[in-house]
Parts: sequence; structure tokens; C-alpha cells
Amino acid sequence: MIRPPALVDVAPGPLLLSGLGGGPGSAAHLSRFGPLPDPDADHLLAQFAPLAVRGRGGAGFPMARKLETVLERRSSLPGRRPVVVVNAAEGEPASAKDTALLEVAPHLVLDGAVLAARAIGARSIHVVTAADRQWAGTAVTTAIADRQDRGVRWQWHEAEPRFVSGQARAVLELIAGRTGLPVTSWAPEAVDGHRGRPTLLSNAESFAHLAAIVRWGAERYASHGTAAEPGTTLLTLTTPPQSDGRFAGVRVVEVEHGAPAGSVLGDEALRAPLLIGGFHGSWVHPDDVADVRWSNAHLRRVGASLGAGSVLSLATGACPVAETARYTAYLAAETAGRCGPCRNGLPALAREVEALAHGVDSRPRIEELTGLVRGRGACAHPDGTARLVASLLTTLDDHVEAHLRQRCSCHADLAVEAL
Amino acid sequence: MNAEGKALKVDWPRCEGRGLCAELLPERILLDEWGYPVILGPVPAEEQILAREAVRACPRRALHLF
Repeated sequence: MIRPPALVDVAPGPLLLSGLGGGPGSAAHLSRFGPLPDPDADHLLAQFAPLAVRGRGGAGFPMARKLETVLERRSSLPGRRPVVVVNAAEGEPASAKDTALLEVAPHLVLDGAVLAARAIGARSIHVVTAADRQWAGTAVTTAIADRQDRGVRWQWHEAEPRFVSGQARAVLELIAGRTGLPVTSWAPEAVDGHRGRPTLLSNAESFAHLAAIVRWGAERYASHGTAAEPGTTLLTLTTPPQSDGRFAGVRVVEVEHGAPAGSVLGDEALRAPLLIGGFHGSWVHPDDVADVRWSNAHLRRVGASLGAGSVLSLATGACPVAETARYTAYLAAETAGRCGPCRNGLPALAREVEALAHGVDSRPRIEELTGLVRGRGACAHPDGTARLVASLLTTLDDHVEAHLRQRCSCHADLAVEAL
Repeated sequence: MNAEGKALKVDWPRCEGRGLCAELLPERILLDEWGYPVILGPVPAEEQILAREAVRACPRRALHLF
């Protein structure tokens, strides 16, 4: 079992995390920003669309496209009122930024949801947090009780603490009163979402960026970041979970897109393997870490993407083969078990990565299994797990080779959990 | 639908790996080591009648042609 951190350190940042001193209350928020503007859909999109805010749940889909799709769908289905869903289920235990954001700046997130709801004509806003991060739920319910939003009905839901709980369709299942696990969908949520309605479902951080753009203006927002990727992004900086499976020493920071790795990582971390994008993410080779910049354009060149913004460093000296085996075993145990290839393939894959960690050259079989699980599930859990393992074999191939020749500096005693 | 033909898609939570689809459309569907279908690319026009039969034959209604 791997569990999210119990305590998170939040550093001040340029936009979303710039108001930490005033506390999370609505009085401080309103005295800082004044009443919430009420732009119509055209004005909101005109400000928002050029800034290319992407979903932060991992898929990285542009949020403005979702908004446009909901608007198109609403005009063709006038009887079905759109719905807004703020996804802070944060199933990824290596991530803590949504929970942190809700704790320190909940009204920025909720402002973004209200702005989106008014633009698309939604009356219901659902907010989803995870049951193993109770303080997120407390922060949300406290903040909702502290607001007076005209024409908006808030509903808060608590997701089971599972890795796949935060997947979009799993969140919609939970909201619909069913078990919050992924199901098959043939259309995006913006087209066919909650009870068939056009649904704007996005990560909590994305809604905060929407509010930041409206509150501060597009110009000030775009004064941060790069021309192609304006603004900032939240990162969760961490090291491998402790032996009890809990993450500790976790820090949430806000960086400008394009800022160098060294702006938030220490010297040791700049020389160690780095896992970017969480357990569904990709390893970056130690030789490349110092040159990393926090932008998707740059990360693509080293085969990674920001995903949910979780950044795990092996600065502690842990072995990437052993750590990948540990995370793969966890991910295999987290399969919802509903899709055959995932239910069978992930445990098989985890066994082979564990064998690799124990010095068996299981690489051909690992490649076969990653090929067999990709794209063959209702959600991206098999794909994400395959990505993690494949990136170990490709990006850290020299380390894997050394590990197999017993020239790896790692400890032979592995903390691989039994399957 | 596109110029290359239609796509067979599996509703994975519904699929129980009964394997009828692979029997009816072996040129397009193989079974993996656990008995679940592996779809080999899009379905060309001349195969679509057979593909529709495979879709109809699935006892779990887990196969779809888009």
C-alpha cells in the first residue's frame, strides 16, 4: 500500500499561491479581489482560450476546448442543462497539489467553477475530494458554506481512496450515486457526461487558473511563463514513500512554465533520476535532469510530460529499478479489476518488474506485457502503468543494465510488496 | 468512420473473453494469452458484414463497430 502524505508544505508562488498570508477565508479573498466578475461565455473564452490552460489531471487536454464543446453541445441539446465538476479526487498518492490548493486558496478554485458554470449555463457544481484526504473535504465544505453564489447549487462528494477514483468517468459514476470506478465511454464528458448532460469536468487546479485569469486579467497572467505556455503550474515535489508506504517531506510549489529544474530542486536532485507525472509518468535520466524546464514543450523532448505535476526524485539514492518494481506492484493492486487485460496484465507485469529488480533479465517479457495492456481498458490505468515501466527500460536503460550486472549501487534487499 | 474503414472497439468491463469474435473474424481479431480480444487495425469495407456479425454474436454485447 502506498498512501498520500499526511502533511504538506506549501510554498508561496506568483499567482495561485500568492495569497497565503491572508488565509483561506472568503473575507480575505473578497477584500483582495472584490466581487466576482460575471463575464458571458464569449468574453470568458476570449480571455481564456489563448492562454492554453490544460487539464492538470494527467491528460493535458486544453480546458477551453472542453468549454467550447459543452457550449456547442448545449445548443444542440437545449433540454439538457450542463453541469460543472471540480475534480480534486487526487487518486495519485504522489500528488498533493489539489488538496493543498483547496486548503490555502479554496475560493480561487470555487470562483473558477462559478465562472465556468455561469458561462455554460450550469446550475449544479459538483466538487469531489478523496476520503483519505479529509482535510480537502473540510476545506471545500467550509469554503462553500462561506460563499453566497447566486443561481448555483453546490454538491460535495467524497471518493474512495483508490488510484483510479480520480479518473473522469469514475468521478461521474460516484456523482451519479454508483461505485466510483471507471466505466467505458464512447464520447468525452463535455458531450455526454453526468446523466448524459454536457459536463465541464476538470481538475481543481485548472479552475483556479481560470479564476486567476479573470481576476487578474489575461495580461498579468501571461506575464508569467512562456509565449507558448503562459502562466504557472503547481508541482508536488517528493521523494520515494517511506517503508510504511506513506509519502513524507512533500512540498507543493507553483512554478512559471519554462522555469528551470534548479528553481525548485536541490543539487542532489539535479543529479538523480526524476519521475515526472507521478506513477503514470516517465523517468528522466540523471544527465538530463539539470536541463529540465517545467514546460510540456520541453519535457516532450526528454519523453516526459507534466501530467498531474507530481515530481519524485531519487536524490535519496534509491534504486530506480527497485522503486519502479514497488510502484508497479502498487498499481497492479490498484486495478479496479473490471477489464480483463488490466486485471490479468498488471499483476503479470508487476511480477516481471520485481524479477528484474531481483536480477532476472525479464525485459523481453516486460516489453510484451506493456504492449498487451496498452489501450485495452475503460480507463488509462493500464496505459499509465505501461508508460512507467517502459520509461524505466528506455530512459534508464544504462541503469537497468548496471543493475542486471550487479553493478548497481542499490541495496539488494528490496522493499517490493508482496502481490 | 473514415476512409480507412470502421473501427472495432471493445467495452472492456463488459468483455469476459468468451472468444466468439475471434472465431468469427480471425483475420481481424486475435485472442491474447488470457483470452481477451486483440483488434488488428481498422475494418476495411469488404470485411464490414463479417464484423457486424461478430458484433451481433458477442454474448456480452461488448463488441462495437464505429
